[in-house]
Amino acid sequence: MKRPLRLRLVLRDLAAGSAFGAMAVSGQLPLWALGLFLGALVLALCDVRLVARHSRLSALGLLVAAVLLGLQLTSGAMNAVVAACSFAGLIAAQRMLSTPDAAAEGQTHLTGLLMVAGGAALSGDMTYALCLIAFGVLASLSLALGVVEAAVPDGEPVPVRAVMRPLSAGLAFAVAGAVAFFVLFPRLNWAMVGPRSAPGLGAVSSAGYSNTVRLGGAGTIKGNPRVVLRATLTPDPERDALDAYWVGRTYDTFDGMEWANVVGAKQTERQITLRPASDTLLHQRIELLPAYGARTLIALEMPSRLGNAMAHTPTGTRSSPVQLQGGGEVRFTIAAPSYTYEAYSLPPDARTGMSAGLVQAERDQLLAVPEHLDPRVARLAAQVLQGEKEPLAAARKLAAFLQRDYAYTLEQAGTPEDPLADFLFVRKAGHCEHFATALTLMLRTQGIGARLATGFYGGTRVDGGYLVRAGDAHAWTHVLVPGRGFVTVDATPPSNRTSQGSVLLEKLLAFYEAVEARWRNSVVDYSFRDQFELASALVRPPRRPAGSPANEAPSRLPPPRAWVTAAVVAFVVWRAARFASRWTGRAPTLEATRFLDRVDALLQRAHVPRMEQETLEDLTTRLARDGHPLALAMTPLTRRYLEARFGGRALREGEAEHLLATLRRALDAEAARRAVKPAGQAGPTARAS
Amino acid sequence: MTQPARVLGPAPSPASARAVMERLAAQLGRAVQGKPEEVRRVVTCVVAGGHLLLEDMPGVGKTTLAEALARACALSFARIQFTADLLPADILGTQVFHAQTATFSFRPGPLFRQLVLADELNRAPPRTQSALLEGMAQGQVSLDGQTHPLPSPFTVVATQNPVDFSGTYPLPDSQLDRFLVRLSLGHPAPDVEARLLTTRGAASPLPSVEAVTGPEELASLRDFVQDVKLEAAVADYVVRLARATREHGDLERGASTRAVLALGSAARAQALWEGRDFVTPGDVRAMLVPCWAHRVLLRSAVQGVSARDEAAHLVEEIARKVAAPR
Repeated sequence: MKRPLRLRLVLRDLAAGSAFGAMAVSGQLPLWALGLFLGALVLALCDVRLVARHSRLSALGLLVAAVLLGLQLTSGAMNAVVAACSFAGLIAAQRMLSTPDAAAEGQTHLTGLLMVAGGAALSGDMTYALCLIAFGVLASLSLALGVVEAAVPDGEPVPVRAVMRPLSAGLAFAVAGAVAFFVLFPRLNWAMVGPRSAPGLGAVSSAGYSNTVRLGGAGTIKGNPRVVLRATLTPDPERDALDAYWVGRTYDTFDGMEWANVVGAKQTERQITLRPASDTLLHQRIELLPAYGARTLIALEMPSRLGNAMAHTPTGTRSSPVQLQGGGEVRFTIAAPSYTYEAYSLPPDARTGMSAGLVQAERDQLLAVPEHLDPRVARLAAQVLQGEKEPLAAARKLAAFLQRDYAYTLEQAGTPEDPLADFLFVRKAGHCEHFATALTLMLRTQGIGARLATGFYGGTRVDGGYLVRAGDAHAWTHVLVPGRGFVTVDATPPSNRTSQGSVLLEKLLAFYEAVEARWRNSVVDYSFRDQFELASALVRPPRRPAGSPANEAPSRLPPPRAWVTAAVVAFVVWRAARFASRWTGRAPTLEATRFLDRVDALLQRAHVPRMEQETLEDLTTRLARDGHPLALAMTPLTRRYLEARFGGRALREGEAEHLLATLRRALDAEAARRAVKPAGQAGPTARAS
Repeated sequence: MTQPARVLGPAPSPASARAVMERLAAQLGRAVQGKPEEVRRVVTCVVAGGHLLLEDMPGVGKTTLAEALARACALSFARIQFTADLLPADILGTQVFHAQTATFSFRPGPLFRQLVLADELNRAPPRTQSALLEGMAQGQVSLDGQTHPLPSPFTVVATQNPVDFSGTYPLPDSQLDRFLVRLSLGHPAPDVEARLLTTRGAASPLPSVEAVTGPEELASLRDFVQDVKLEAAVADYVVRLARATREHGDLERGASTRAVLALGSAARAQALWEGRDFVTPGDVRAMLVPCWAHRVLLRSAVQGVSARDEAAHLVEEIARKVAAPR
């Protein structure tokens, strides 16, 4: 067996790497699978075929991995799609490291396809599209090289250079066409790629804005670094990290297991249009990204007004009505991957007023405790408070106690029967929902009104705005302070309130988000208005520098950048025109060749004998030499064809038809002449017989 | 040189160029009878501005042809008989000492003519042959650190005997490559020979040749040839032909770049025969064998006439295989 082409194997392995990347960008693959595949890829690229000799042993290893994945799947620790994708990655790794024969080749490409499909199931945003393109290009190159390699006999060198150039050009053309299509119809394609069911990186949607919050279960959301919200604040706090609460909704009723609301949907749908409000309010322009995966509007505490809601649906942007749900939740009524809206919030120390739109039933619930509440809860609260009656001071005292004596953990194996008692007296560790629930109920046992609030905590500054990640999802407590309204008290230790994803992943994602934001702003949401603004910014005369004398007349000339742009555009147009002229210059040639084809067809139909490889010029010369009757018709025609083809004098309008008609007449006359001649000759023969 | 050169027309056109060439061919036809094709090739070569190599046995009219050419074009003419003892100075010229003024002055040799017949070129030693080389390639002669331009137009018609090789120095490939066209006249047809015998006898045909053009007109014709359009497809055809000779199994060495350029100008001149100002693949094919058969090197060891024949045969075969543009 001849040695396979190294370049082809490298391309194949890189294609598999891109396919794996298509899945890996979802951020859901387990780290060990990621590490295993990367290691295998590096080894394969270094041409170390590790399992070439022990392919059976490694297959056994795959079997073990399959069993392990199956166990994780049945225990509920892993998603079925993620498990399947991880396994596909392992198969690809094993195939890459085995002897590079035809079977391994095909299997590697096949697993590549599977991985790409898996990637589509896990996520579907821009990075996935890039990985998909890379996979397509690399795999095509590798497969085409394989075909060429198989066609070259043993021992002969493979003409890699000769093959790669046209192949790369063709692929570049195809990819450029695909990208151009994508850019030309960005909204359509974004909507098609943008996931509706799976909200991109991290298939789990954010804080789970269902109508209930159930205690228990692992807090996996805290490790998800996917950005769910982007906001611009006015006035700009100008801080790198925002220590503010973004509230989505509140809950007032706890049954020992679950938080819910005593009152359901309050209001029918309606459009809310916001007008500029007073300067004391904090204005927010918020964009909910596809990763958010819910329809609840969120705003900084305490929200005063929300409105101007727009839904970015696959078919276009339109304003969406909103509906007020229980627990102060405002919800979009149109389902869309992303939304934008505006919100006004009260400054943090403002008085919200006592009622704040609560109905009596809701107000009653602020002191309600579940029927079977562990009596130790009340005892513990009383013991900590030691007679403190002032609601805010009591809440802060309890929060300090919880933060001091309880540990933060996201591990929550199993579902205890009484999660609150389990947290307070058994494990003494939990996550934000436990802390917030404990504080809320301990306050209620002491006769202080409180409710659970959920939303996000924090915000990272990027490009003058703030990003909030899925991992920033948080729960805290609203304490009712008479005369002041609800005041936020957070029982969760401060260091554990924000996202707890890995720093590296967060950095990578921040970069990705920045790129994606650019993409969305300059491609997806690019409009005629943006075009106009860009053009006017280009030609606007430069402002007068601050230090310059005021009496100097400002220049009316466009700035240098306008000239540079004009020069660049002129150059591009000139090059394009030259390029186009090369093609238009060829048109007469093609026309002459078409004319020749028609002449050929006529001659063939008339059975004019033609030698192999004989050009029209040769034929005419021969006919003229032999004194053939057709030569008379053929000579001017041939001359004209040669002029048109090689002399640069294109055929005039209708000239081809004229020449062809002449030829046709000559051919008909020749045919008639021939028909007469044999008849004349046949006469005597017939008589003789 | 008995008649003054014709007055040149304002600007040569394909038709006027063709008329001049026809007239030239007619005059040459008077000197060399029964060889219209060869005569036309000679005219093509001269109009294209190339040098001509005639390979033939003695007595078929090589010298007569050259001399007739000089007469018909009204060119200054010199015949140099190449022999084994011929030295470069014999053809280039020498510095002569003038006793009165005590200075040297250059006395040009026979090469300083517009048409030079280098008879039996292969009999001269390589040193002398190469002295001719610079003149043919650059149109100038370097002597004692001085360059002397040759008259314009400058054309060399060389002859060599392809049969008798004893005491000869075969022309090196570099020198062969400098001849635009190689021809052999061959014996005339029997009826032509019989007519010669009855009409002319031993009298020279040369006096009957008239000057039908002059050096200026020839020079402007040569300039006009360079303007004949060679379309990209035809150029590509020439290049493909060259590549085919380079890749051919029976050829040691294929056509050089100079050969490609030579074929281009020969085909340009050939186009004028049809009164065209553009080259067709037919023109290229017509000049292919005269232009290239002496430039390719065969792998087989045959020499002389049979080598030329075989080379011509191979080049023709290549021309049949390489598809002409349509």
